[in-house]
Amino acid sequence: MSVNARTMTDEEFFYGHKACPGCGGALAVRQALKVLGPYAVAALPAGCMSATGFNFPQMAFGVNAMITPFAATAAVLSGIEAGLRAQGGKPDGCTVVGFAGDGGTADIGLQALSGAIDRNDDILYVCYDNEAYMNTGIQKSGLTPFGAATTTTPAGAHEHGCLTQKKALFDIVCAHGIPYAATASIGHMPDFLRKMERARGIPGTRFIHVLAPCPVGWGFPAQDLVDVARKAVDTGLWYLAEYEGPAVSGVPGGAFKLNRAPKSFALVEPYLACQRRFAGLDAADVAAIEAARDERWELMRSRWIANGEGGA
Amino acid sequence: MEVIWHARGGQGAFTAARALGAAAALSGGLHALAFPTFGPERRGAPMRAYTKIAASPIGDRSALRQADVVAYLDETLFDDGWEAELKPGGIVLLNAPHPAADPRIVCVDADAISAEVLGRPIPNTVLLGAIAALSDVVTLEDVHEGIKATMSVRLQEANLRIADAAFKAVGGGGSARASQELDARVAAGARPVTVHDASEAARQNVTRTPYLRETFALPEDFARSTCFTGGHLVSENAGWRSVRPVLDETVCTLCLQCYLLCPDGTIFKVRDEEGNVERVAVDFAFCKGCGVCAKACPAGCIRMVPERKEARA
Repeated sequence: MSVNARTMTDEEFFYGHKACPGCGGALAVRQALKVLGPYAVAALPAGCMSATGFNFPQMAFGVNAMITPFAATAAVLSGIEAGLRAQGGKPDGCTVVGFAGDGGTADIGLQALSGAIDRNDDILYVCYDNEAYMNTGIQKSGLTPFGAATTTTPAGAHEHGCLTQKKALFDIVCAHGIPYAATASIGHMPDFLRKMERARGIPGTRFIHVLAPCPVGWGFPAQDLVDVARKAVDTGLWYLAEYEGPAVSGVPGGAFKLNRAPKSFALVEPYLACQRRFAGLDAADVAAIEAARDERWELMRSRWIANGEGGA
Repeated sequence: MEVIWHARGGQGAFTAARALGAAAALSGGLHALAFPTFGPERRGAPMRAYTKIAASPIGDRSALRQADVVAYLDETLFDDGWEAELKPGGIVLLNAPHPAADPRIVCVDADAISAEVLGRPIPNTVLLGAIAALSDVVTLEDVHEGIKATMSVRLQEANLRIADAAFKAVGGGGSARASQELDARVAAGARPVTVHDASEAARQNVTRTPYLRETFALPEDFARSTCFTGGHLVSENAGWRSVRPVLDETVCTLCLQCYLLCPDGTIFKVRDEEGNVERVAVDFAFCKGCGVCAKACPAGCIRMVPERKEARA
């Protein structure tokens, strides 16, 4: 039976945490753990969810969980999984899962993640992407999108925010031939739950990249959390996709799938206008954002749909 | 003079603490330190900031346990322990629309004063202006200089006006009602706040703010092992909330969207004897009042109600 609001466990495994009101990352971790159940073992590097989940002597995690060095999330996951097997104590239904932010994944922890995929260790890596180093006060990461103002890419008279494009993390991970990878958004919760469930059932390394808006860092009212996450997908600035590696799909090079491939996108301006981080953008910047989006979608449509099973 | 600032993240307490220090140091010719408590950066959570002002250089960089002025930018943070933080003769500055019974408590409607100028309540500068009126340490002119030194040009003009309005409201401008209140305070034993030597604090053996407040197990038990049971909770998050969700059960269709999308998992299913979901309820010990549930409810049956009003009703 698939996991949904009705069927999921009543137990909470991420509770009493000190995340800001309306935190997208907290919602992603909460629901991911509800899918994985009480035998999951979690590891988190420095980041919002470790800063707000482990306030000594408090413990907001209802499953076994520990903090890793910043760069070592995937390496620690490998070690936990090997340790559980070596001790003979790995229970059935035990998923070794990591929750790292965008900075801890795409910048600082990329090497360890690449190593773990290379070894095909039996771990699940979840990147909750709030598009900057939020815990330390909103500094640009490799996954900060073009045009977003952060404290290290402030909007000024000449430059209006982040100068670089969001790193294609999903593509980097898939290029390893990983058994399973997916992108998701907390604004499309049933899709995220389904992907967590799918990842839970596949042996080997699995990776889920979930967009998790941050009301403080993005500059929108906390109650709009889910709307903003939905709009990111509706505008085409974020996408919902899956990848199954050669071993799982039987397709050489693996198979991509776009879970949502709309014929037309929602307007970009309302999405940008509802967030303070984009307040400095002018019409040329918005056009550049649209052009980059269209280029990205052309690539996804031509390569993935031609290669894989096609979009829904 | 030493000041403890109580506020919520985002209310500008540290800005005020720094502006006061700048007022004393840059304009008043004194020595000053200003610093916040450190923790994860998060909006809405209770925080403290400190300002220390002295005639000689200040060596003690630890947090204050007691102060001459204890300022509350948010009334919901004011509770029974307030007297313990007050030095003899010290005063409390409280952002509240109503007067307080105790003469040591000076109430300023900082939300209203700042909203009149800014259009929204940002209480920090109001309390700065109030301190200028109540103390001999910094003048209103010093506070002006402090604001200019620490706030961006865009914000200065409005904040100077707010400081002036606050100064007047608390009696600095000589308003009859305010000076009567001031007289009553002095008669009750309060003294004008003055500068004291930093070494005086050292003599009084000021200790650090303890960070382990309430635990149901002893810290030495934790020290034996780095592992302890998951879900070990010792403090509630309820103090974070300024609004609370109120659910109209007659309209609720049990679609569970609120349960699904609550970032804190504080909305839970209530089951009847057969295990069927009967209704949903909110754990108010941990709800932060973010309002995601109210937005997610397709039936529109969740309203966000201000905490204070709810408490009065």
